[in-house]
Amino acid sequence: MVQIVIRGSVDGCSPPQWLLVELQGEMVSRHNSGLAGNVMGDLLYTKEGVPVLIVGHHILYGKLVKLEKPFAIPMETDHQGLTSTSYTVSALIKQKLIFKTRPKPIITNVPKKV
Amino acid sequence: MSTVKFNMDEYDEMFEIEDHFEEQFADELEVLAEMEEKTCKPAKRQKQSTGDDISDIEHLLDDKPITPKSTRQKKEMGVVKRLFNAAESQERKVPSQHDDITPPSSPEHYEPSDAVRSTPVVLDISGFAEIPETPGRHPITGSPSSLHVLKRPPLEGDYISVTDSSGNRVYLRQKEDTDTKITESRLIPNSYGALGLLAVPIGVLRTQEAERRHQQVVEESQRLTELLDSVNGVSAEFENAEDENADPEDAEGRASRLWVDRFSPRHYTELLSDDFTNRCLLKWLKLWDTVVFGRERKSRPAFSDRQTGGQKSFKPNQGNQNPNRFKSKIEMTEELLEAELDQYKRPKFKVALLSGPPGLGKTTLAHVIAKHAGYNVVEINASDDRSAEVFQKRIDTATQMKSVLGASERPNCLIIDEIDGAPAAAINILLAVLNRKDGPAGEAGAEAAKKKKKKESMLLRPIICICNDLYAPALRPLRQQAFLLAFPQTQPSRLTQRLAEISVQQGLKADSAALMSLCEKTDNDIRSCINTLQFLHSRGLKQLDARTIQSVSVGQKDQNKGLFHLWQEIFQLPRTKRKRVGEGFDEAPGSGSGAQRFQNVLHLASSSGEYEKVSQGLYDNYLSMRVRDPNLQGTCEALDWLTFSDRLNQVILHGQNFSLMKYLPFLSVAFHFLFAHTNVPRISYPHSHHEASSRLLGCRNALSAMLADIPASVRARVSQLSLSLDVLSLLLDIICPKLRPVNPQLFSSREKEQMHELIDTMLAYNLSYRQDRTPEGQYIYVLEPRVEEVARFPGLPPRRQLTYQAKQTISREMEQEKMRRAEQTMLQRNPAAAAKEEEKKSAGPKPTRNHQQRLENIVKQTIVEMRPEVDFFGRAVAPRPQRAEPSSDTGEKCAVLAMGTAVGNSDVWFRFNEGMSNAVRRNVYIRELL
Repeated sequence: MVQIVIRGSVDGCSPPQWLLVELQGEMVSRHNSGLAGNVMGDLLYTKEGVPVLIVGHHILYGKLVKLEKPFAIPMETDHQGLTSTSYTVSALIKQKLIFKTRPKPIITNVPKKV
Repeated sequence: MSTVKFNMDEYDEMFEIEDHFEEQFADELEVLAEMEEKTCKPAKRQKQSTGDDISDIEHLLDDKPITPKSTRQKKEMGVVKRLFNAAESQERKVPSQHDDITPPSSPEHYEPSDAVRSTPVVLDISGFAEIPETPGRHPITGSPSSLHVLKRPPLEGDYISVTDSSGNRVYLRQKEDTDTKITESRLIPNSYGALGLLAVPIGVLRTQEAERRHQQVVEESQRLTELLDSVNGVSAEFENAEDENADPEDAEGRASRLWVDRFSPRHYTELLSDDFTNRCLLKWLKLWDTVVFGRERKSRPAFSDRQTGGQKSFKPNQGNQNPNRFKSKIEMTEELLEAELDQYKRPKFKVALLSGPPGLGKTTLAHVIAKHAGYNVVEINASDDRSAEVFQKRIDTATQMKSVLGASERPNCLIIDEIDGAPAAAINILLAVLNRKDGPAGEAGAEAAKKKKKKESMLLRPIICICNDLYAPALRPLRQQAFLLAFPQTQPSRLTQRLAEISVQQGLKADSAALMSLCEKTDNDIRSCINTLQFLHSRGLKQLDARTIQSVSVGQKDQNKGLFHLWQEIFQLPRTKRKRVGEGFDEAPGSGSGAQRFQNVLHLASSSGEYEKVSQGLYDNYLSMRVRDPNLQGTCEALDWLTFSDRLNQVILHGQNFSLMKYLPFLSVAFHFLFAHTNVPRISYPHSHHEASSRLLGCRNALSAMLADIPASVRARVSQLSLSLDVLSLLLDIICPKLRPVNPQLFSSREKEQMHELIDTMLAYNLSYRQDRTPEGQYIYVLEPRVEEVARFPGLPPRRQLTYQAKQTISREMEQEKMRRAEQTMLQRNPAAAAKEEEKKSAGPKPTRNHQQRLENIVKQTIVEMRPEVDFFGRAVAPRPQRAEPSSDTGEKCAVLAMGTAVGNSDVWFRFNEGMSNAVRRNVYIRELL
């Protein structure tokens, strides 16, 4: 039986909170160049706190949902010795942004009269 | 008197042969019998002579012994002598006359037909005061003789007492006009001068002045007849009026009165017009008897068959017309007349419409017959006001009222003369009157009583309309409801006979040949004949022969005969008239020598006046004439003449030089001598001029429409003339190239070039194809300015046409090409806009790192292209400093701008999974995340 020690944080303070973004659909890179290193889009909030995600020429309206079971993101801490393995929780996810409505297109070809 | 005796003498023997005749003229006989019951026998005798195969001349001669026959003359002389020798014994003789003719009845009784018939030209000796004459034709008003025939001896002045057979004694007032009588006749100084008469031996006079004496004898005998008649109390006013005017010494009357009126027929049997026409009208009028007079119409079914039979035997008498055509016409008319009366016992046709050229006696016939049948004549003619209201009033007055003042209480008969000149509104009113109350009262029986009351407004009186032109447009509706009677030409023989009587009475010596030629000259126009006679007489001519008639210029009607008649006259040689005994009678107008034909055609042509139309008709028809012209010399000459006339016209119209117009009719004369033929020409109305001018106009319009939009570079080199003469026919070939019937996208480059050239050409000459729908529903493409017509010659085979598809292709390509060109020209006109476009192209997307730059570009563009902003009141608003807004990457951007930055060609894009909930439901394990 292996005992894995998970620590709250390395330095004892509470770990940062992350946000999970859930999309109905998938992100595709344009030139098959992979998503790495690319700007995905802009996440904005309206004054009412509605999250708005702009991806490419799509605009997605979503909502902030509290996860029933929060996630913790553990990270294996490096140790010199191989005898014991411990994890540190690097972040906690208690809320997620869910975008499940159909995205709306953004017309870039703006007519002359705005 | 002698006449009367004669009639009575001849009557008995003639009566034996008239059984057949009686059926034929049943209607007339009936009328005559009704009107003059006492004197019906002579009437019958008269009729017989009409219906008989003895010519009409003879019957007239029978009535009025004019041609001197020795036996008759002697008789007359005897009578005269006896009468004047025994002036006192007149009373004794008069009764004997009475027994023969008329029992002395009431003075207002209609006078015996004998008197009327035998004394149309009777001269008056009794010196009756003139009784105010009812215009022309009112013979039948009764009693005026009471003015002169007195029951008691007059208080002053001389008188004659007369006793008739029944013992009634009347007194005649007598006036002395011995002075006139002495001048007029040495034979009989006055009615009491029996001794004076005997003093001059008749034989001496006869040898001295045979003609003059005979004339006077006739006059005197007639005077005596008149005298006796007046004693009988049966004289009528019209006779008196006539007598006074007929008195040769009455210079005033002669000067003021036309012979036409003086010698107009007073009685049915004197009518000169065609017997059949007369009888038809009379029969029609008799159909009204049931409703007007309440007499029952005798049904004569047995007669009708025999009547047609009689008609047939009668026909040869009708003379020279085509018997077949005439027969059918007769039968048709007879049928009409035999038709049943309508429910009100009126005849089927309420109106009789007489038609025929002037001067045939239509009006006279209507008047005489109406009087004959017992009507009071009311006439409306062209000189009356015939506006709609007045017309209505007059019709109502005439048909629904009855004169109560005059002694005669006869129903009215309305005669509308010259109805073809009446306005259409008036004719409509007449039609309304005809059809009034016809509709609703369709049911018979129960409503009969009611109808009786309504009848007052219904037409119950005959109406006779008279016109010259039956086919006047205004008469069209009336024609269908009227009993039509066309007047044939008067028979020249009858007319001549009557003219002879007149001239004898007027002391004008005329042989029958001269009168015959007069008839021919006037086209058997009675009025014109008599007027000519009077004219010649008033110029002091006592002797009349054919040459005088020919030379005199009057008598020829200045009547416009119509263009077709003129053309026919020009193209037809007159038939040579039958040669008559005597010299120069083939010189009827139009016949005979060249000079006469020349004059005749010239006269006709110049009187027609429509030279333009006439020459067009000549031009259209002269080539179809059957004239031997092997070398076309005649045709050439005719063309020369046409040219001449054209030039004349040109000079006349350009220079307003109308004195040249007198040369225009000679064209007709020339054509007459070039092309006249004995055959009846078939002449068509000239249309060629109108056709040509309308086509010319069409071509001009097409050319000018084509020229209007031709580009200036081409326009400078073409005119209408060069287009029509040189360019068009070739151009139309050029724009019809051979095209493969395929989609233009499949054209080879060569074909494309060809197509391009074609379109270029068509655009250069402003030609295009327009889709049109034919009346049959097919769609076709037509060349837009219709210049095909301009360059097409009628005889040539039709030009090769492109197919519908080809035209459609061309048309579409042309539209595109036009749009292209329009765009180009617009760009050329507006170089600034073009430059901007260029610039836009060249600018392209700047090498910006992110989409924000691009968006800014777009925004910039839109701002540039915006028009200067204007506020509500139209004032310019200073552009807002947009660019001044902070546009740094700090994230302070406004939401809009931030949104905008994401837009564009980002490298990542989002693909929405429609309807898939996998992403949501999928269980995520930690280990997957690790």
